[in-house]
Amino acid sequence: MGQAFIEAFELILSGDRIVWQIIGVTLEMTLISSFVAILIGVPIGAWLGNATFRGRRVLVIIDRAFMGLPPVVCGLFCYLLFSGVGPLRGLHLLYTVTGMVIAQIILLLPMAVGMTESHVFAAAPVINETTRGLKIGKTRSLFLTINESRYHIISTYLFLWGRAMAEVGAVSIVGGAIMFKTNVMTTAIMNYTSMGNFKSAMALGIILLFLVFLLNIIGALLQGDRNK
Amino acid sequence: MIIPALKKTYKDQLVLDFPKTEIADGSLVALCGPNGSGKSTLGKILAGVIKADDGCEKIPYEQVGYMSQQAFAFRLSVKTNLLQNKDSALSREENEARAEKLMKILQLSELAKKNAAKLSGGQKQRMSLARALMKDYKVLILDEPTASMDLEIIPVAEQLIRDYQERTNCTILLITHSLDQAERLASRILYLDEGKLSN
Repeated sequence: MGQAFIEAFELILSGDRIVWQIIGVTLEMTLISSFVAILIGVPIGAWLGNATFRGRRVLVIIDRAFMGLPPVVCGLFCYLLFSGVGPLRGLHLLYTVTGMVIAQIILLLPMAVGMTESHVFAAAPVINETTRGLKIGKTRSLFLTINESRYHIISTYLFLWGRAMAEVGAVSIVGGAIMFKTNVMTTAIMNYTSMGNFKSAMALGIILLFLVFLLNIIGALLQGDRNK
Repeated sequence: MIIPALKKTYKDQLVLDFPKTEIADGSLVALCGPNGSGKSTLGKILAGVIKADDGCEKIPYEQVGYMSQQAFAFRLSVKTNLLQNKDSALSREENEARAEKLMKILQLSELAKKNAAKLSGGQKQRMSLARALMKDYKVLILDEPTASMDLEIIPVAEQLIRDYQERTNCTILLITHSLDQAERLASRILYLDEGKLSN
């Protein structure tokens, strides 16, 4: 175990091409998918948290159900969509980073919507009392509501990014863990472990842990800024 | 201005049973009463913030402004908070000049760039009053506009309310628990008790 740690650090410091390529694909896939999910999810969540129409609760329940969507089911769904018999076969998305990003967005979007909705739902009454009372327009009110939730949105983004990095089921089905193309850290750790290459698996595991720590440090720094 | 008969129930309890009432246009009317008498509920219904059980269809919500008792401050600078309620009939420069003037009167100029969410309760209420007075409403409802303010600033705020009414000729409904303030400012006092208009 100790030897594996030492060898893992040596591998990281040596600038191993394969390891850094896997890190690059992982960051590309996770950063894009979490950013797109937050970009689409926040306005929908803010709207849903503010809405008063009949059926709002039904939409919230559906969203919360999708928040628990098993990644392998999402992966299977995307596989069937993108494969040779699927309706989107012409787009050639199977075993591509773009296909993995789409699968991740499907997984993360309900979380972005749900987490924003629950926060806005709690904060909306007091904001609405001011915006409706002063006759501030609906678009500006939505902007103000999102602005009031900005620290929560940043936390949500970091959570989504963490989720995307830790995910393995959907990306392995849609991406196929192809070396130098779609292999990400989680799928690579699985492959290296099954091949008995613990040094590389451990190196990636350490980097994954480091990135998770980094996320938490960013979150803590932003929390500190809010308390100023 | 005619306030239609309005009723509001919360969980089967009648909290407001307000009769049809006529208020002279351009007048300043005070709405007094003890805590929980339904003053704020009436103000919120008239502003369209909450709905009455019936009678709402007769209220011209779009012409009514409402300054909430809660003095909520957006996480923006004090000046930007004021500009969120800019008057669309004015140019950007005119709105900015109006914001500067209101901040100066209510002694907020030095706090103009400060995050309004970090202000004290009294400062937030001054900011909230200034923000409400940015726009020219036909009817303005001020819900306890000076309750958290320091004693020395209250006459300044009251004069500002008088000046606003004189300039815009709007009807002001002042919700206050202070009969002294009602007598100083209002031409007529309505008294609510347990949701009903009382003599």
